[in-house]
Amino acid sequence: MIRFLAFRIATLVPTLLGVLAVAFVLLYVAPGDPVQAMVGERADAATIARLRAELRLDDPLPRQFVHYVGSAVRGDLGRSYVTQRPVLGDLLQRFPATLRLATAAMLFASLTGIAIGVYGAWRPGTLGDRLATLGAYLGISFPVYWVGLLLILVFAVTLRWFPPSGSTGLAALVLPALTLGMRSVAFLARISRTAMQEVLQSDFIRVARAQGLSEPVVVLSRGLRNALLPVLTVLGLDFGSYLTGSILTESIFGWPGVGRYVLDAISKRDLPAVQGSILFLSLVFVLVNLITDLLYAKADPRVAYD
Amino acid sequence: MESSRAAHLSALVCLAAYSAPPGPHTLTYYYYSEPRSLDPALSTDVPTGEVVAMLYDNLTQFDVEGRLGPGLATRWETDRSGLVYTFHLRTDARFHDGRPVTARDVRASYLRALAPGTQGGRAWPLYPIRHARAYAAGDTSAGPAIAIPDDSPVVITLAEPLNIFPKLLAMPVAAIVPAGADSRFGDQPVGSGPWRFASWLHDHALVLVRNPDYWGQVPLVDTLRIRIIPEALTQAAEYEAGRRSVVEIPFGETRLWERRRPAELERRPALRVFYIAINTTRGPLRDVRVRRALNHAVDVPTILANLLGGRGTLSAGALPPQLPGFDASRARYAYDPGRARSLLAEAGFPNGFALQLWRSQRPEYARVAQAVQQDLADVGIRVEIVERDAASARAAARKGDTDLFLTDWYGDYPDAENFNYPLFHSSNRGPGGNLAFLADPALDRLIERARRTTDPGEKERLDRAIDRRVFELAPWIFCWFPEDLWAVRPEVKGWHIPAIFNGQRWNTVRKVR
Repeated sequence: MIRFLAFRIATLVPTLLGVLAVAFVLLYVAPGDPVQAMVGERADAATIARLRAELRLDDPLPRQFVHYVGSAVRGDLGRSYVTQRPVLGDLLQRFPATLRLATAAMLFASLTGIAIGVYGAWRPGTLGDRLATLGAYLGISFPVYWVGLLLILVFAVTLRWFPPSGSTGLAALVLPALTLGMRSVAFLARISRTAMQEVLQSDFIRVARAQGLSEPVVVLSRGLRNALLPVLTVLGLDFGSYLTGSILTESIFGWPGVGRYVLDAISKRDLPAVQGSILFLSLVFVLVNLITDLLYAKADPRVAYD
Repeated sequence: MESSRAAHLSALVCLAAYSAPPGPHTLTYYYYSEPRSLDPALSTDVPTGEVVAMLYDNLTQFDVEGRLGPGLATRWETDRSGLVYTFHLRTDARFHDGRPVTARDVRASYLRALAPGTQGGRAWPLYPIRHARAYAAGDTSAGPAIAIPDDSPVVITLAEPLNIFPKLLAMPVAAIVPAGADSRFGDQPVGSGPWRFASWLHDHALVLVRNPDYWGQVPLVDTLRIRIIPEALTQAAEYEAGRRSVVEIPFGETRLWERRRPAELERRPALRVFYIAINTTRGPLRDVRVRRALNHAVDVPTILANLLGGRGTLSAGALPPQLPGFDASRARYAYDPGRARSLLAEAGFPNGFALQLWRSQRPEYARVAQAVQQDLADVGIRVEIVERDAASARAAARKGDTDLFLTDWYGDYPDAENFNYPLFHSSNRGPGGNLAFLADPALDRLIERARRTTDPGEKERLDRAIDRRVFELAPWIFCWFPEDLWAVRPEVKGWHIPAIFNGQRWNTVRKVR
């Protein structure tokens, strides 16, 4: 297990360096100029040239990259060109909001998706199974933007149960979490349904039933526990992507998370903020996957030995 | 029965958790994006400019109607040469930490905004001060010519006469901060304005509280809460739920709001012009007949009426109607495809030609671009629409890589100079704002004279002549001057759309039950 962990951690470094290099090059070949975005609509060429020099944007690309990596290794992700605040501080301030939203969305998605999947496997082909599956697929078929606005219209404007946007209090968490979690429900339902169907046909389930155990105990305690492995993989991947890619949901609901920070930084060509965000989010994604793998290895020791 | 009770219970839980609309002592506003900073020296965007007007004072200030009036300076005068301005400071102004505002703070604020290390990028309103441009470039041998004989007055000498200088000092970058303000100032601001800073959770909300010691109109409510809400539809939902005091209506929603909430709507002609820049240095577009043909070929009145809800006034020049220099008697290029075709034939392009129309991703631009493409196709001009994000599209237009560029210009201060000089003077080609790359020596001379004259009557006459010359040269497809449309909650009184973005300081706004 320790060797497995050491190997996974060792692969982190080249992964992150690769991500950084690709992001660095992409940002520099993309059209648009951070200084032009900084100075606004009216600027003179002298000011633009001076700012470019001050921000070292005229240095050769390799030198800029080495300088950046050197700072990043020391934990310094630089300062935003636009706000002049430290990028790491900005990210750390916003990350708890993203984490809160991702956790709530995952909780909603896993409870709903797994419940639909378990029910479908337990009572396949029934009206309830078909309706639940249809609902889950509708959830994934509608664009996030549309779902978010629909929820705002119904629950915030018409019924006034929840605020249309913001992040203060539990009530503000409900609509964004539903919007973000919706797309995972169908995936989780399908995976857990298939896994459960397979497990429910296993010998040990027949034995459990023959022993006279009640159906809920057979399905939930014996069945679900053994069907959770593939579900765990999907949960890990989705949670990682929620932590790193909830830009749309955060924008619709005015949620002060990392997604909006990245979007804003890209639109302003704020290179240190974009690079810092990419590095930070890549690290988060890789760590979440590592934790998932460790859980997987814990649940099924064969994974670690492989 | 059981499920019904459960439903009621869950509804009650939701209601209890729901954060209710704000009380009578709180006004609520929003920005579509986070202010860059609360430091005036970094104000390059509208949200920063607006909040700076609430937290700070300038020597001169705009009111809601866009009139220039006294700020920290009670009065000012200029000498006969138009070079030396003397600003007399009020004695009752104090910063939020209790220190009096003196001439020393004024000088320190301007030097700080100009200093190269500040990296604000938008200190140009202070460049007219003698030696200021060199100082901004790092040459400290002769500092900006700002003399402070005592706590008052402030005597500023310009590099050359400039009649709009007092208006430039009303811009956010020229707001007065305490001498000695450091780099943390952007997050912990201390101004002398009607509102004091309370808190700022980035990307979420900015909270200001009233300054009871303000020398001018003290705010009528205790708190101003400004949320950051990027989506227009979410902004509207917040308003409908009673959680925002006002909301700007997107162009695409005009008819809907006029139908549903007519009594809450307020309108004002915006200090803004919507246009299509024609790059006058590229191919057939160098010929003024071709540029006029483009103007005749596009059915602008129909586009404005059908695609933008008629929210605007058709333009026959670049100067908005509310500015001195506007000429109401001038007729625009009429929609006349036949005339367009004959002008093209006259210029040697009877079969038309191909060009690119660049635009950013704003929703209203998409529909306008398609309509222009269709109209130009009718006279034989084949248009390829190039869509890019705002930064990329603007960068291409500034480099001169676009044939046509669909864009708009927001006034920084209410004066014809703010349109004529940046948009058409040859020294401003590209990044300066002249996206048509127009270079007309006669026009340049007129613009320079209009900037220097100390006679308001002559200035207006010159501005009118400049606008006529611009119209004749047709560096744009002239479109329209948009109209601002906002909804104001019935319980909110005293709020009006400002004529200029930093003219609404929220200190005369209140709530009634």
